[in-house]
Amino acid sequence: MSETLVKVEHVSKKFCRSLKRSLWYGMKDVAHSLNPWAKSSAENDSPQQDSVLRVDEFWALRDISFEVRRGECLGLIGHNGAGKSTLLKILNGLNRPDAGRITMRGRVAAMIELGAGFNPILTGRENIFTQAALLGFTPEEIRLRFDAIVEFSELEDFLDMPLQNYSSGMKVRLGFSVYSQLCPDILIIDEVLAVGDVAFRLKCLNAIGEMMKSSAVIFVSHSMPQIFRVCRKLIVLDRGKTVYSGGDISAGVSRYLDLAETGEPSVTGSGEATVRHVRASSNQRAVEAGETLTISHGDELVIEAGIAAPPAASDISIEILLWNAEMIPVMELVTSSLSSFPLVVDETGLARSRARLHRTELGPGKYSVTIVITNADNSRVYCRHDNLVYLCVEADAPSGASVLATADWSQPA
Amino acid sequence: MTVQCDMVVGQITNNQNMTHTHRPTAILTERVITPHNGLDAFRDALHSLVRDWPLTRALAWRMFVRDTKASYRQTFLGYVWLLLPALANTLVWVFLQNTSVVQIQAGDVPYPLFVFVGNVLWTAFNGALVNAMGVIDEAKGTLSKVNFPHEALILSACGKAILNTLATAIFIIPFLWLFPIRLQPTFLLFPVGIVATTVCGMALGLIVVPFTALFTDLGRGIHLMLRFAFFLTPVIFTVPASGWGHRIMMLNPATSLFVTSRSWLIGGESPMYTEFIFVSLASVVLLFIGVITLKVSLPHIIERLSG
Repeated sequence: MSETLVKVEHVSKKFCRSLKRSLWYGMKDVAHSLNPWAKSSAENDSPQQDSVLRVDEFWALRDISFEVRRGECLGLIGHNGAGKSTLLKILNGLNRPDAGRITMRGRVAAMIELGAGFNPILTGRENIFTQAALLGFTPEEIRLRFDAIVEFSELEDFLDMPLQNYSSGMKVRLGFSVYSQLCPDILIIDEVLAVGDVAFRLKCLNAIGEMMKSSAVIFVSHSMPQIFRVCRKLIVLDRGKTVYSGGDISAGVSRYLDLAETGEPSVTGSGEATVRHVRASSNQRAVEAGETLTISHGDELVIEAGIAAPPAASDISIEILLWNAEMIPVMELVTSSLSSFPLVVDETGLARSRARLHRTELGPGKYSVTIVITNADNSRVYCRHDNLVYLCVEADAPSGASVLATADWSQPA
Repeated sequence: MTVQCDMVVGQITNNQNMTHTHRPTAILTERVITPHNGLDAFRDALHSLVRDWPLTRALAWRMFVRDTKASYRQTFLGYVWLLLPALANTLVWVFLQNTSVVQIQAGDVPYPLFVFVGNVLWTAFNGALVNAMGVIDEAKGTLSKVNFPHEALILSACGKAILNTLATAIFIIPFLWLFPIRLQPTFLLFPVGIVATTVCGMALGLIVVPFTALFTDLGRGIHLMLRFAFFLTPVIFTVPASGWGHRIMMLNPATSLFVTSRSWLIGGESPMYTEFIFVSLASVVLLFIGVITLKVSLPHIIERLSG
């Protein structure tokens, strides 16, 4: 078993909603910390004292515990305001917890924001020196690694240009290049990779991958495929509390997706047609509009709809779309000619459709269904119903992919 | 695309090989983060102050170079701007004196020389105080994102104040040439006076900075007060022999520093040795307390600044 490098025990942190009060509490905290007779909470007899919230305060983090060993990567996910960044700042030693204890062993590198400390007037070269010193390189180390930093950034031609003339992508390159030369024991990464062009992002990911082999990593991301790719353990935070902690990444991710508020049903379009009813079913289970149908990967899925349209309209057709939790369309139900399905409207002005999918090969997660009624050439939208019903696909697979297609595998002779 | 990827991977492996050869095999340092106050916090601050010293020195130098270069790169005159404020201030008072708007007694020393030396000392005191008070505000963005030894900010602020003073002080030489006086051997002590004045300003600034960083009222108030302080310190005139002006100036800790330093260089006033030594020692102690205080209180401040 490799050594434990990060140990977090019952960490809590308070935040304040009001600025004036927050500053005032700050003054009090400063005064309290400077009072030589003030007891440290670690040796305080009454732990309740720390768990008292003052007016306008709330728990940004409450009772968080975990461990990360060398060579392990812990994913930290949660929606905005869940406390991820706060936890990272405490781990990095920027803020102190209000309760609990953190033990960090070894050199820490925290990629919370690339390029903090950059000066726009100075050249790229000068900024590399400052940034490296800020990250704890000794002058000797900077001298040894300067060339490697420049090589990684691929910015040789722009080194003597002031930073304010750099594009945002170039600034990120420069910032990350300095980090790429660190060999930390503990690596803290906060979504810095969401920027930059594809080629450089790949290069960064590879460099991080190398660092990960020999360090304990704490990784914050909103990208589930990335979480699946690199993490072996997962913590899901919701409003400062741990709602999932463990090694089952897909269970953690689906817990995270459950936390997402489902979109409100909405109707747009010209209004000449409307969806009167909808029914999604699978293996004797069925749900109506606004409800969630839970199915297993590979199950059959049937979606039936009743549409009110102008009587005897001749050129009307239906599209069914499935969106994942990140609002990316992952599937459209089409006819064998890859087009939308033409509807036949009876004399009462009602049309019916039934779409049957033999195998639902979606990845685990939550999906929402949209129905769009258009004319035949798609030039006019009669109505569009978003978030009509929801689908929750359960699959016991450690994957972040949207589609888990079962293929016929064999070993060619 | 595949070719490109392979190339990229290849490069990284090379880099990594290089870094791995440099990997220190030292015993891992353990850092425990708990909510701590009082004596524990002081002990930790002191410990990290000593442990991080080599890093602090290198980082402070980098910050000093960065800020100095950055502040004058957008100018034609460059580092001449270091001198101009003190020179302009001197010209104002020489003008006022010569047009008899004010009548100032400066003993038997030529008034322009007297005022310029006073302004050099004021640059040292004021510069140190203002720089020390600005350490948190200036580095706000970095403080909330990168963990580094914070005393580097103080050291770099100190460096900037000293550079400012030195650049001004050099021009005492042409002033001495323009307004010749008979130099006493004590003029060699003048640098000691400048250092003591800088330390005093720095210490006063550092003691208040944890509080000015949170509510800006105190900082604004101090900036206002510094305008009065200029006249409550013997910068442009000597200490009056009596009256309430005399009493206030004698209460001002900077008075003894100014009077003694200036008398060492150009004579004309009677040095206040006892007060000078007392204020200097007190400033050194206060500076040390200021550094520790700032280290202990910064996590609480950073948290409030970054929301």
